[in-house]
Amino acid sequence: MKTNSLLYVLLAIVGVALSGCATGPKFGDINSTLPQLKSDSGRIYIYRTAILGAAIQPDVKLDGQVVGSAKPKGFFYVDCAPGGHQISSSTEVTRTLSLTLDAGQVRYVRLNISMGFLVGHVYPELVEPDQGKDDLAGCSYIGGK
Amino acid sequence: MGISPKGIADPRWRVLWGAGGIALGIALGGCAFDVVSVPQSPVVFHASTGAKGFVLMQDLTVHIGTGFATRLRANTSWHKVGATVFGDVYATQDQIVTVEASNIYEAQIVVSDLRNLVGFYLPVEHTYVSLNEPLPLAINPNPSPP
Repeated sequence: MKTNSLLYVLLAIVGVALSGCATGPKFGDINSTLPQLKSDSGRIYIYRTAILGAAIQPDVKLDGQVVGSAKPKGFFYVDCAPGGHQISSSTEVTRTLSLTLDAGQVRYVRLNISMGFLVGHVYPELVEPDQGKDDLAGCSYIGGK
Repeated sequence: MGISPKGIADPRWRVLWGAGGIALGIALGGCAFDVVSVPQSPVVFHASTGAKGFVLMQDLTVHIGTGFATRLRANTSWHKVGATVFGDVYATQDQIVTVEASNIYEAQIVVSDLRNLVGFYLPVEHTYVSLNEPLPLAINPNPSPP
């Protein structure tokens, strides 16, 4: 009896955790349908692989403008002008990544989770293209804002 | 079971509340360590291209005193993209280079006399991050074409 109760509690916890995850189409399914990158722009894929802290889904900003959210197992992309850019996310603190972008270049930014005092911190990290493509394969498209 | 106003006025409760306040203060004060800055200063950057590059022959782990290390990988090719008063600025397409504290900054390396790594140039911030001491570089200054 006790074992069954424990199982139900565990299932409930897993259910709640997974309910916070992205549910859109996988990257591999829609990659070929995404708009072609214009020659005078670069593309930044922003994604989160971590399920840990699923309830924490702060906005993600590019140069101060909200462009999406840090949804577990979700990704979105932003096409923008070449030059320097800043990507940030805030919970109890703001974490910022600054990166350069060339015309025609594609960059990959992973949103990692770290421990915080009251809530976890979401910090953007620039990753190598191979790593980014591998990570995106497990993510679902959630669209930008 | 509740605490009556009289109970709160009790000196023992005052001590307890005081201790609790101090503990909370220490805990919250501990949050301040979480914000670590990369020490950087503005610098004038002169872009240039065409100069010969080099290949880094050995891995190099660089610390800038923030608690985070930057690793430069062996066999990466570097090309000159400009210069600052501190040295020539080189970039690579073979790896991502960042310097990190609470925030993360994409970086390029600053090399003096093609011999020593002296710091990092942050191209978005247009600032320079100095190393405490120059680090000798093991390089091949005349890499053969692939």
